[in-house]
Amino acid sequence: MVSKIIAMQIITVTNQNQKEIVITQPDHYQIDLVDPGVEVNISGKFLVTGKQEVNLEVIIHHKAAHTKAQTNFKGVVDDQGYLRILGRIIIDKNCPDTNSFLEERILLLSDQARAETIPDLEIKSDDVKCSHAAAISHINHQQLFYLQSRGIALKQAQNLIVDGFLEN
Amino acid sequence: MSRFAKKNTTKFNPTATKKYQHGFSYPTDKYAFISNPGLSPEVVKELSKMKKEPEWMLDFRLKALDIYRQLPMPNWGGDLSQIEFEKYHYYLKPTDDQVSSWDDVPDEVKKTFEKIGIPEAERTTLAGVKTQYDSEVVYGSLKKTWEKEGVIFLSMDEGLAKYPDLVKEHFGKLIPSGDNKFAALNSSVWSGGSFVYVPKNVNVKMPLQTYFRINSSSAGQFERTLIIVDEGANIHYIEGCTAPNFSSSSLHSAVVEIFVRKGAKCQYTTVQNWYKNIYNLVTKRAYVEEDATMVWTDFNMGSKVTMKYPSCILAGRRARGETLSMALASSGQHQDTGAKMIHLAPDTSSSIISKSISKDGGRASYRGMVHVGPKAFNSKNTVVCDALLLDSKSRSDTYPMDKIFNSQVEVQHEASVSKIGEDQLFYLMSRGISEENAKKMVVNGFVADLIRKLPLEYAVEMNRLIDYEMEGSIG
Repeated sequence: MVSKIIAMQIITVTNQNQKEIVITQPDHYQIDLVDPGVEVNISGKFLVTGKQEVNLEVIIHHKAAHTKAQTNFKGVVDDQGYLRILGRIIIDKNCPDTNSFLEERILLLSDQARAETIPDLEIKSDDVKCSHAAAISHINHQQLFYLQSRGIALKQAQNLIVDGFLEN
Repeated sequence: MSRFAKKNTTKFNPTATKKYQHGFSYPTDKYAFISNPGLSPEVVKELSKMKKEPEWMLDFRLKALDIYRQLPMPNWGGDLSQIEFEKYHYYLKPTDDQVSSWDDVPDEVKKTFEKIGIPEAERTTLAGVKTQYDSEVVYGSLKKTWEKEGVIFLSMDEGLAKYPDLVKEHFGKLIPSGDNKFAALNSSVWSGGSFVYVPKNVNVKMPLQTYFRINSSSAGQFERTLIIVDEGANIHYIEGCTAPNFSSSSLHSAVVEIFVRKGAKCQYTTVQNWYKNIYNLVTKRAYVEEDATMVWTDFNMGSKVTMKYPSCILAGRRARGETLSMALASSGQHQDTGAKMIHLAPDTSSSIISKSISKDGGRASYRGMVHVGPKAFNSKNTVVCDALLLDSKSRSDTYPMDKIFNSQVEVQHEASVSKIGEDQLFYLMSRGISEENAKKMVVNGFVADLIRKLPLEYAVEMNRLIDYEMEGSIG
């Protein structure tokens, strides 16, 4: 089997630098938490339309004790788009009191839209709180009906729901 | 790919661990036949000849052997590099024939199963029993009531002899030989296992049980099970596994195929308690038709490496699949377990609940896949994986994968990893409970909702096994 060589963008989180990482370009990222006590918020929002195929891979690597990470990815897929989100939390040995949460939510707008979520955990310390959640769903018909019954056109109602989904 | 982390597990040290209660064994010199170590077309031919099998089965075996030799070892999951394939005996026949009276069972075999408590369970709680000793089923029974209803419960070899058409129609259709390396290995040297057929609208209220025992060292056990649950029928099938504590490893590689017809229900329970040097590499799959339900309850406590992902193919409207999986990984063990749900039809639903406990340097992994096809509108799936890490030497992983090919779906995944909370322990200990008992209570509570799904006798046994594993876990 030939494995592809992938250029990985490495972001190192230390005591000095950013607490907030916003990912705008789908790519391969590795986010290293190297200093004890650092906290980081990672987020990203993606809209996939037409025949686009989007692949995002993010590794959140806890290399020090007392580190915290909160990761949220959201995606909306329309037409014949394809969105794949791989998120992995790795907690090294001897990293007690680590806290990490990973969330991947995808909203599918058309019947040909496809999505794949892979939230992985690799935990080698015991004093950790670590969890992940992934959800793939479509627009709730009741919500659409409610908005349409107020005189809002279907397309506009969809847009409102998508905006709401991406916002909170 | 980096997705699959380094394959390191701690070494299992037999002297440091507590006594394994099923560790006894008996000599094999009275065996009817033992094949020489290693695998070759000759071994397969001889085995097939001894079993007096039809021509097509021999062809099937030889083709599978070819495929087995061509397929690569899986490069993911547990560490299989230590398996010495050429050292195993691929066919061990303990007795000449299967018997239906307990009195005719050879003494040593009888003693083994009496120690494990099979005859007593058969009298009180089971509808039928099969006991497999190394490669062959040595004893089998089915209560008269179910026989009258037309229920068939035979060893796979008997099934092939008595119902060749039914077997030929289903055998290897769900898990073809080329599915994976170990399915191919099983297809070429399979022996024993169960053949179950439940006729239309028959509700078998008591469970059927097969008991698997490896008795000799360096043994390969390759049972093959085929279960057909016809329309509207209902069955609960249980398997249990143990082995003696030899220093050389043994290999257990089973294939289980289940067909659940329209409106039927099947529950398949595994209580796996192999000795900690057994490789347990199993392929299990169920084909679920309209309005039918398949439930896998999978308890993994023993073995050195387990790789097992029971699957449901939800092929009919409103089909339902459920997997309840529990794994306990102790020193030297890697439990790589999980589930697969393949949604092909509209309105199908599935749920996977996995609970794992890692202790003393053990590693428990959840590996699962949820696939929702383009025609599976209004499908629902929920996955919940909870892991408990008891010390800093141990390791826990979660490798889920959701593949969704249409928009009318609801797919959810949740996983969490934690240790036993200090506050939980403090609360219990402040009520005068010792630390060890408090830990046992937390662990038992952690797996309680899974154990509740078992028949009462097994639930009690399961709690006892977990307590036994937890004993002395306080430094």
